[in-house]
This record gives sequence, C-alpha cells and structure tokens, in this order.
Amino acid sequence: MGISRTYATGDKLAPLAKSITQEAINRFEGSAGQRGPSQFTDEATARATLGTRGTVASGRMSLTFAVELMRRHFGADVFNRGGMVDVRFLRPVRPGDTVTFEGTLTGIAKEVNGSRISVEIKATNLKGETTGAGSGTCLVPSGFLPPEE
Amino acid sequence: MAHGAEDVRKPLDWDKLEIGEALPSFSYLLTQDMVDEFRAGVMDPEAAFPTISHKVDINAYHRAYKDVGSVNARCAFYCYRPPVPGKRITVHAWIADKYMRRGKTYICTEAVSVDEDGHLLDRVVTHELKQPAEVGKKWG
Repeated sequence: MGISRTYATGDKLAPLAKSITQEAINRFEGSAGQRGPSQFTDEATARATLGTRGTVASGRMSLTFAVELMRRHFGADVFNRGGMVDVRFLRPVRPGDTVTFEGTLTGIAKEVNGSRISVEIKATNLKGETTGAGSGTCLVPSGFLPPEE
Repeated sequence: MAHGAEDVRKPLDWDKLEIGEALPSFSYLLTQDMVDEFRAGVMDPEAAFPTISHKVDINAYHRAYKDVGSVNARCAFYCYRPPVPGKRITVHAWIADKYMRRGKTYICTEAVSVDEDGHLLDRVVTHELKQPAEVGKKWG
C-alpha cells in the first residue's frame, strides 16, 4: 500500500479552470457520434430550441469537469472506483466562457469498507456568476487512510 | 433514428409517463477514437469515463419517446470502473422520477452501463426540464 491520505473538513480542493470553445463542445458531442446539428453545435438549432443567442455547452461537460476536480484530489485509483458527483446546472455555459470549479470538504463518514468523504462543489464564470453547484463524494478504502488509534 | 426510417417513437405525454418504466436497452462498441475525442473535448488526457458524453440515459429515452426538446437541469454520475476501449458496452435505462416545479415539468432518467465482461462501469441520473425555451427566456 502506498502513502496514506489524510482528509479534514474544510480542506479546499485545488481549483480547476476550463476555457470553453466551440471546438471543445463539438469534440465532446462528436465523441459519442453526435454529428448532426444540435443546441450545442449549431446556433440556429440553439435559437430554435432554447431561444438562446447562440450555442451552449452540454451540462454533461460541466459534470465531467466536476468529476475531474474530484479525481485530481482523491486520485484516479480511488475516485474512479468509488466516486460520484451531483451537479445542478444554474446558468448556461457558452463558448468563450472560462469556468472555475472549486470544492470544499464538508464531511467524513465511516462506512463498512472505508470512509466516505463529502465535498461541496461550485462552478463560477469570469463574471462571478455561479453556473453550477452541487456535491460529490468519494469512498476512500481504509487501506489508504492512516491507521486508527 | 436512421435517416428515412419511419419514426415509431411515442410522443411524450408527461401525465401518462410511468415512474419505473424501462427504456430500450442498447449497446455500442467503445473505440479508442471515442475516448480520444472525449478527452480532447474536456481537455483532460486522463478523463476515464467517455460514457458521459454518450448521454446514455436520454439516448435510451429518445429511442422510446419524441418531444420538443429538453434542458439538463441536474445530473449525477457514479464511477465504478473505467470503461476499456474495444469493449462493447450495454446500457440499461429507466424512468426514475418525474415532477413538477414552478409549473414546469421535469423527467428524471437513470441508466447503468455494463461492459461485455459483466463489469458495472457507471450510473447516471439526469433531471431534464421539458420546456427548453425557458433557458432563452431567462438567460438569453
């Protein structure tokens, strides 16, 4: 077993900033074979469907960024096998936006196979507006934690 | 739906939609190109769950229903095991919930992805607002 990991309520996760481009949106959508026009890739479709002035990024891009925020903090070996995020999308994220994801550790709860660490997650654009908010948890196996007294 | 194929999907009737209703299962081959494109799109070379961009729960929903569109209001994602390129992934999805808030209707879909070896990969739960024009009205 490698180095043990310690966690404390109030810990801040390293912020994660993402600059959104139309190309990034197109590649995200295209990665699943979505090549036709959509509210994410085509301005006319976005205007017709959403009534927005242009395209928006899928909420699932923000979801993926929240996953990355958590994975970077807890490590892929742990988070990818016992992590989750739950994000509410509060404002559109558009091409040209830079969004910063932040997290604060809010709780540690014992479970039968480790400790579940809870995190409050928030995403903010450069205007200071909250684009997304929610929470995440990561089940950290006891083997990664310091021995109990 | 394939171009030119008859659309046999049901128009959404929110009142009649049943919580717990199973949506059509489907499968797809996860390729390395899909993983590479996903990682480029999210600007993260270590992104491990390209299943997210497949939007599998609403993909299953749209195999059964047609509607005027929707907006993702909330989404939860549970990681169990990163998918492996070259493996076929099968999706099982269902209607998890529906509710009305401030006069607007929402549908909650849920899905799990399982690979060809039987490994549970992830679970996703999505809350969709079924009045997509509300986005433009509020935010422009």
